[in-house]
Amino acid sequence: MGKLEGKVAVITGGSSGLALQSAKRFVEEGAYVFITGRRQEALDEAVKLIGRNVTGVRGDASNLDDLDRLFGTVKREKGKIDVLFASAGKGEAAKLGEITEQHFDAGFDLIVRGTLFTVQKALPLLNDGGSIIMIGSVASVKGFPGFGVYAASKAALRSFARTWVNELKGRHIRVNVLSPGQVDTPDSQRLDKETREMFESLIPRGKMGRPEEIAAVALFLASDESSYVNGVDLAVDGGFSAI
Amino acid sequence: MGKLEGKVAVITGGATGIGRAAAKRFIEEGAIVFIFGRRQAELDAAVADLGSNARGVKGSISDLADLDRLYAAVKAERGTLDIVFANAGAGSPLPLGKITAEHIDETFDTNVKGTIFTIQKALPLMGKGGSIILTGSSAGTTGAPTMSVYSASKAAVRNLARTWAEDLKGTGIRVNVLSPGATATELAKAALGEEGQKVYAAMTPLQRMADPAEIGAAAAFLASDDSSFMTASELAVDGGLAQI
Repeated sequence: MGKLEGKVAVITGGSSGLALQSAKRFVEEGAYVFITGRRQEALDEAVKLIGRNVTGVRGDASNLDDLDRLFGTVKREKGKIDVLFASAGKGEAAKLGEITEQHFDAGFDLIVRGTLFTVQKALPLLNDGGSIIMIGSVASVKGFPGFGVYAASKAALRSFARTWVNELKGRHIRVNVLSPGQVDTPDSQRLDKETREMFESLIPRGKMGRPEEIAAVALFLASDESSYVNGVDLAVDGGFSAI
Repeated sequence: MGKLEGKVAVITGGATGIGRAAAKRFIEEGAIVFIFGRRQAELDAAVADLGSNARGVKGSISDLADLDRLYAAVKAERGTLDIVFANAGAGSPLPLGKITAEHIDETFDTNVKGTIFTIQKALPLMGKGGSIILTGSSAGTTGAPTMSVYSASKAAVRNLARTWAEDLKGTGIRVNVLSPGATATELAKAALGEEGQKVYAAMTPLQRMADPAEIGAAAAFLASDDSSFMTASELAVDGGLAQI
């Protein structure tokens, strides 16, 4: 018997990387999963990879109409949500002095505004006792040059979790942030050997994370195994941010 | 198939409360568990209840000879150790102005020194891929009146995990901190009374105290490969108490 038997999960940005891996794991544990992504082709591939109990809904988490369509589909097909996993987000580099208005808006629109409205628009469908997971970043507690806007946008999510656990306490909905460190994705596989070794030397675990390792923690936060975990920022980073 | 199948675990303070709940869960997941506690009667009762995969060793974490006996028992029977849940701890209230040297020594001897030697003496038995779980507290990051010495000892424990993750680099052994909030153990229920329990429930965003089994579930997560990319982390299992 899976840990998410009969549950309905919505995963934004679920067509690639660690969110895709999480979607796959959630389905294996008995959930029905809705995934979103901006590119139809990648979305179709993800749906094919997951194979069953999955619906792909094309859309951009920073576009409110797309979010309405997403939750409209969920409502029609399943009528409820048990797990909301807001993972849509990406970061471009720009140092202080070089930051443009467009750079700022792109970062905050997708990560802060997009996550906020993803959660707010999901609320009417979220079951009491549900679980909300937002993807943060170790960047929010570190100071990587060039990633000030990205780090600040992720820090905002951590702050949302603190406020929302109070605002949602009557409904027993849990809200947590999962902050991954360096994960071995197609992007990091393109790094040259030296850069990769440099990154790994900074991780006490000594190796980058695998997407499945992040998915295992997402499953913990999604399931009743974490029934008393609420409002936390959980670093899943091989120790990188704690030292 | 359980997620701790064939693993050998030590749980200090394992006869009652959170330690006992974790022992129950670890055994359900397939582990052999050595529980360590100070009172023989409670150990015997726990072992009888936990069944054939539980072992009891009597002793205190603030007594180094007792810790030696604990690990000698593990070595003699299993020869190896995969999981240490350093759960034993103690704390009592005293406001600033009334703190005595004895109060500091008692608290730090158990919570800090006892935890350090619980782990250091376990290391020679730990194989590749082991998991160490230290016990922090929501008190370690908040300011509860009269609890400064206890809270500082738990803040110290949280820091141990940061340094040890580095000291253990290359060994495959992970070390994380589990920080419970208000948990409805028999001891806590008796100490708080009905009114006190209501106060803690109301302060917690989840509006209730934890069932010890919920802390046990989080400990099983940290003990297992589900948390394989986690080391030096702190996992608060406090219903949101210390997060707001």
